[in-house]
Amino acid sequence: MNRIQRGRGGWAIEVGGLTRAAGVALLVLGLAIGGCSSKKNTQEGAGLNPNPNGLGEGGVGSGGGSSLNQMQNGTLGANGGPLGDIHFGYNDATISPQDNGVLKANADYLSAHAGTRVQIEGHCDDRGSEEYNIALGARRAQAAKDYLATLGVSGDRMSTISYGKELPLCTEETDDCWAQNRRDHFALSQ
Amino acid sequence: MGVMKSIVALIALLFLIIPAAACAQDESRETIVPGAPPASTTLPPITISAAPRAQPIAVSALKNLGGDDAHRVSESFGKVLMRDLTLSSFFRILNPAAYIEDAQNSGYDIGQFNFGDWSSLGADYLVKGSATRDGDTVKVEALLFDVPQQRRVMGKKFTGSPHDVGEMARRFADEILKSATGKRGPFDSKLAFVSTRGGRFKEVYTSWLDGGSLFRVTDNPTINLFPDFSHDVSHLLYLSYKSYSPELYLADLDRQIETRINPGLGQAVGGTMAPDGQIVASYQRGGRTNLYLLTPSGNLVHALTDNSSINVSPSVCPDGDQLVFTSDRSGTPQVYSEDLDGGNAHRVTYKGSYNTTPAFSPDCKQIAYESREPGGFQIYVINLDGSGAQRLTQSGSNEGPTWSPDGRYIAFSSNRGGGSRIYLMRARDGYIIAPLTEGQGNESNPAWSWWMGD
Repeated sequence: MNRIQRGRGGWAIEVGGLTRAAGVALLVLGLAIGGCSSKKNTQEGAGLNPNPNGLGEGGVGSGGGSSLNQMQNGTLGANGGPLGDIHFGYNDATISPQDNGVLKANADYLSAHAGTRVQIEGHCDDRGSEEYNIALGARRAQAAKDYLATLGVSGDRMSTISYGKELPLCTEETDDCWAQNRRDHFALSQ
Repeated sequence: MGVMKSIVALIALLFLIIPAAACAQDESRETIVPGAPPASTTLPPITISAAPRAQPIAVSALKNLGGDDAHRVSESFGKVLMRDLTLSSFFRILNPAAYIEDAQNSGYDIGQFNFGDWSSLGADYLVKGSATRDGDTVKVEALLFDVPQQRRVMGKKFTGSPHDVGEMARRFADEILKSATGKRGPFDSKLAFVSTRGGRFKEVYTSWLDGGSLFRVTDNPTINLFPDFSHDVSHLLYLSYKSYSPELYLADLDRQIETRINPGLGQAVGGTMAPDGQIVASYQRGGRTNLYLLTPSGNLVHALTDNSSINVSPSVCPDGDQLVFTSDRSGTPQVYSEDLDGGNAHRVTYKGSYNTTPAFSPDCKQIAYESREPGGFQIYVINLDGSGAQRLTQSGSNEGPTWSPDGRYIAFSSNRGGGSRIYLMRARDGYIIAPLTEGQGNESNPAWSWWMGD
């Protein structure tokens, strides 16, 4: 008569639109983390349960050093790392001239550390719809990637991701706070 | 591919059996024990103020015809029915403490009770009925009476398990609205939403529209967004960062297995389900975000947009022919319509510089959307041809409108009460009926399903 739902989370995963072998491999991976999901997984902070799929676009892996990883650890914004953030105007993805120096420094760091990779994260302020902001953040990340490419950083060392307005550095409804949140963050990995 | 899917499903099922058995002792799980009393129907403690001109209705207890000695069936049925009738804004419930008649010591059909006991309370309508319980089978007969006319209006018989009593009440509420207004009510339906009630992280939940049977769909400490039901309410599409890259997942709510949608078009931004089970999704690559029609398993059918703008927030009308979405191709985000075959794109909104998250009404004639105004976002409704824009919300910042399947209501998220909660309003005039969630954590991204039953 109806569908009664119970349980929570931790489901097995099928993969759509993939090859047979990859599908089965990922299914097994999914089962490794799936199955008996108990209360411990629901407690925030305890056991961060990083997903094993690790399919970050540029191979940044399981989120290490990313803003999402920092949010999980409660350290978002606390540790900037060696690469500087750049900032944007409202609903805009244009690189601002005053950020040219930051991008040059970031490019210099990357050329001096040949074994590193960077995931460029686009972020937005909290005004506007979440989905539009994910697309806007993607545009911001791409703008920095294109700029770094013109400074000689190889494309295969860079990946991009957008977090939209999901990972704000501050939450006040002020111009200052909004300006801080409209940013590209550069997450370094080996 | 079909064979492959079957094999994958079979393997998945085999593996699922083992952890399921291991989890049988987990008290957090709701388990059906044959012969056990029905689980109490928990509804969120929300305040619903009676709407102006709401009609007074009395909801009597169900007469126990055997097996419901503790009146659990009657109580669950009554609690859900009263909640849904109040949420409809058509009715106000007369206080059961004032009822004169003892339901257990009088009849429940015409000629077996005294209408005077109800007309003296001022009731326009009266619900009476009976409950029978035999082991794991519950039978409910529910009847609607017009008190001034002393007439039986409608009656329904339901049979199911003890866990189905709430849905029986939801279906009967929808039938009462049909009898009283000529149009079926929308309460035999589900709500999906995002909530931080479990901690800091945005997780996807589903419940009945009235808040019953809360179910947590995602359980990962990342970001989960944009739930959307399949037309038959068997699947839920959502976006998750759980792989540390944004991807769409299609969860099979019955089998509790999910498919990762991976058409190879870039990073997922969002998506919605078409009535036939196909998926309309936005993917970004190189900073360009475009819309694509995908098969239910995530393979590309065709592109719906192909430009360097942002194209997001698709909503497909229930007839399956058209979608609306947000695009900034004009320089600012605006609402557009397009045929699902990829042609006939039209701009719908012109007023305002930021119009997003469109939602097609069930009759495919109107679009609800949010528009940036001084001080926050407001929900508007506009005709598909761009005429007749009407602002529905007045206070706070209001986002993410979603229509009821009958088209009478819109649910949305709002910060009007402090943190973000899901609210219910009437689509015709913006009358705010009630918050649908109790406000544990921030709640957003409401998605209203189609009817569960036929």
